[in-house]
Amino acid sequence: MLLVEDNDELAETIIDRLRAEGHSVDRERDGNEANELLRHFKFDLVLLDVNLPGRSGYDLLRSLRARTDDTPVIILTARSQIDDRVLGLDAGADDYMVKPVDFRELSARCRVLARRRAGSASNIFSAGTLSFDRAAKRATINGQDAQLRAREIQLLEIMLDNIGRMLTKEEVADHLYTFSEAPSMNAVEQIVTRLRRKLDGTPLVIKTARGLGYMAYLADDE
Amino acid sequence: MMNERQSHSLQRRLLATMAVGFALLLVLISALLWTYAQAAANRTQDLLLAGAALAILDRVSVRTNGATVDLPNSAMDILSLNPVDRVKYRVFVPGQREITGTRDLPAAGDLTPSIEPVFYDSVYRGSVFRFVLQGRQINTPEGRTWVAVQVGQTVEQRTAQQRSFFTTGLAGLAVLSLIGLGFVWVAIRTSLAPLRQIALDLARREPGDLALVEGVPPREIKGLFDAINGFIIRLRRSRTLTETFIADVAHQTRTSLSAMQGHLSLAADAKDPNQMRTRLIKADRQAQRTVRLTNQLLANAMVIHRSDKASLQPLALKPLVRDILGESLRDSQMRAVSLSFNDDDLAVGTDVIAGDEVSIGEALRNLIENAVRHGPVDNTVMITLASDESRVRLSVEDAGPGIAETDMARATDRFTSLSDYTKGSGLGLSIVKAVAEGHGADLKLGRSSLGGLNVTLIFQRLAVLVLLLAGVLVEPEPAAAQTLLIHSATDPPAMRPLVESFENRNPGVKVNYVEFQTLSLYQSVLQPDTARQPDVVISSAMDLQVDLVNRGLARRIKVTPENAPPDWAVWRSELFGFTFEPAVVVYDRREISSEELPLSHRDLASFVRSNEDRFRGRIGTYNIRQAGIGYLYATQDSLQGPQALRLFEVLGRAGLRTFCCTADMVAAMSNGEIAFVFNAIGSYASHYAAESPYLGLHFFDDYNLVMSRTAFVPKTSTNPVVAAQFIRFLLSEEGQRIISEQTPLLPLLPVANPKSAIEREIENRRGTFLPIRLTPGLLTFLDDLKKQDFLSGWDMSLGYAP
Repeated sequence: MLLVEDNDELAETIIDRLRAEGHSVDRERDGNEANELLRHFKFDLVLLDVNLPGRSGYDLLRSLRARTDDTPVIILTARSQIDDRVLGLDAGADDYMVKPVDFRELSARCRVLARRRAGSASNIFSAGTLSFDRAAKRATINGQDAQLRAREIQLLEIMLDNIGRMLTKEEVADHLYTFSEAPSMNAVEQIVTRLRRKLDGTPLVIKTARGLGYMAYLADDE
Repeated sequence: MMNERQSHSLQRRLLATMAVGFALLLVLISALLWTYAQAAANRTQDLLLAGAALAILDRVSVRTNGATVDLPNSAMDILSLNPVDRVKYRVFVPGQREITGTRDLPAAGDLTPSIEPVFYDSVYRGSVFRFVLQGRQINTPEGRTWVAVQVGQTVEQRTAQQRSFFTTGLAGLAVLSLIGLGFVWVAIRTSLAPLRQIALDLARREPGDLALVEGVPPREIKGLFDAINGFIIRLRRSRTLTETFIADVAHQTRTSLSAMQGHLSLAADAKDPNQMRTRLIKADRQAQRTVRLTNQLLANAMVIHRSDKASLQPLALKPLVRDILGESLRDSQMRAVSLSFNDDDLAVGTDVIAGDEVSIGEALRNLIENAVRHGPVDNTVMITLASDESRVRLSVEDAGPGIAETDMARATDRFTSLSDYTKGSGLGLSIVKAVAEGHGADLKLGRSSLGGLNVTLIFQRLAVLVLLLAGVLVEPEPAAAQTLLIHSATDPPAMRPLVESFENRNPGVKVNYVEFQTLSLYQSVLQPDTARQPDVVISSAMDLQVDLVNRGLARRIKVTPENAPPDWAVWRSELFGFTFEPAVVVYDRREISSEELPLSHRDLASFVRSNEDRFRGRIGTYNIRQAGIGYLYATQDSLQGPQALRLFEVLGRAGLRTFCCTADMVAAMSNGEIAFVFNAIGSYASHYAAESPYLGLHFFDDYNLVMSRTAFVPKTSTNPVVAAQFIRFLLSEEGQRIISEQTPLLPLLPVANPKSAIEREIENRRGTFLPIRLTPGLLTFLDDLKKQDFLSGWDMSLGYAP
């Protein structure tokens, strides 16, 4: 992964932390140079500071997305006004954190993004005892078929694509049902409940926030 | 800081109060002024009406068949002094019979005629008229009887005059009031000087200077003065508190940092790795606390700063709350917390308040963080949005330990909360309180049904105004080609160049020109058949045209001052003359030499009398029963004095021959049947004279009557805009040039370089031309009795048997 951060002290601690977790981390100090680097090399994840010499983090992110590069990006900023958050997400950031950053939180968010990317990029997703083959539309727990129905497979796919991201019930229903089918919110709830029961014991947790929606995360990330 | 929008100026308020006083006074005076103006305007009009009524009454006489009247021209002339208003009159024997005039004029209630004139306003055919009613007793064969005269005039001039009296008077008063207000202004400035002194004192101060304002204020502002000083004292106290707060903050931060530093130094010096780890864990915990403290202090500062800026905007709470909750859920600390959002009691669209997105977001985030941080790991947090008619409630409840009832009041206190930090109500709640204050919202702390704390913010809803824009439907202009229908008593060839030129200038307009005789045109306008009504009526019979306009049948037309005809050729901005056509003598050069031509009307009488045999049966003029223009010339001649009547007698004795029209007279002259024509229309005559070498034209030296062809747009016109354009075109420089150059008619205004012989002749004799004025005076000879009298007098002069 790539860390773009001009403060040496902070950069050093972040790099040490991430390396200790087994990631390989490159670091860039200057916005323009980081942009050049991203032009030629592919990274799994970019941690991006906003206030940079040369070129601001937002500009860098925008030119990255303009090249249709979908490398996951977490923005690090010292400012916490909502405008900053909106600006960052609008520019195409996947997540957003305010300094001073809690390292445990940072690692957790990195893992979520890595998972999400892995979940959508490769055909086989596996976490702990759970394994899901996208091509075959088949989920196994401890090597045994999880006996999921078609709708539950669909839901699992949606949840894996959006790990760490909150989905409203309506969004889930839109994915599950075609335009001509009348989606029922009760049915969505039932499918979620069934899937959750079947995934019991695996690290994948589907959390319900009443009135808001659902969010999937992996318990072993903690 | 005072809110700018709410601030008002004392000076302005005082001035406004005075202005209202002056305005009330003005209203009172203007009511009096209005009554006075009305009386004055009435008096002016009544004088004219009374004069006209008297003039008519004077001419009431008795004949064999009872009372009759010879309508005097003077009556109409008096009324014509008012250049605007239409005229009605009626002469009748009360309760018995009508003598002449308009029969259906409204009577004044049960008024009986008396010798004294009685004035009253009444409505006749949709217009307000001022009437006078006056009577006179006369002796008839049947005995003494009353004859009443009723004369009426529309009140347009009176209304204008009244308005003008009124506005002039009012303008004077208004100026006086303004000057008065000026004095008031000066007085206020002077008495407010002490206030400015205080303002100056405060403005010059350094921000830190909290000394009391010195001086002895006037009694009236002593309260303000004391209040300012009281405020300064409170500000000092508040500053002390702030200083305490900063000291407290400094203390907390520094203590926190020292502790961390201490743990770190100990860790660095530790020999035993286990001991070192313990120290480091403590340092890390201390660092987390310091970070949170700093974050909250910054958030607090930001919220306070933003509430100062009054940056409130219409804001929908629901999307904002959902966004923030969604964001909070990403935090890995929230994994075990059960978070729910309840908007069951929020009707759609009722969540809009005047708010600052950033501040409210910060408050909500702090409340959630508080709940999570101070509650158990598997805490339950419920956020509720609900609305009623005027308010929106935002509650955050949790199942944590909550705050003891006794501490509730102190929980949000900014200056004391820090000491309670470790117990749970930290700066978080004081941030929420600051946000609530910044939004004018209520902050309520209570016990939640979940077991923990319930923090509720109650905002005032923003009424969403739905502006119903009245759909203004603009009706499309009719796309069909526009036809302008002209009914005219003028030869089509004379008008053709004008019509064609108008059509060329207005593409899409087609003119339909229909020719009439003057009388039949008059009758067709009075009694319209079902066919389409004309858009323009043109006639040479000025009296008949005035009569039509006097009946209120014409539409007003705006003409630019540079194209406006001279006064005599326009009436009420409704009837416009556009030609200049003098009466002329046409003579046969073979019969009469230019030397013996008479110079005046009187000379003409002598000339004919002394050559009676030579001209017997060889003098021509219009048949005034058939030709409206002949009647007009003859009646106008009769007004010039008794010599005109003598002339008619002389002409009659010489066997005057009468014709229907100029063309016939000219034809008779070419045949040698007649030697000269009296009162021919100059324009046509000059046209014929130009073609025939032996036709001569002759003007008199005393006076020459001038007729003008007139045009008006009837109210029934279906195409009034184009019709008005046509009339403006007739009067325009271009129209007048075409009349001069391309038609036999003569232009109303003198041309720069007269080309035709008659134009040059007219130019040489400018002073002798007597234009017939377009006024109600022309109505005199349209009176039935008057007309009968005149025609029978004419017949008698000409020797016809009555």
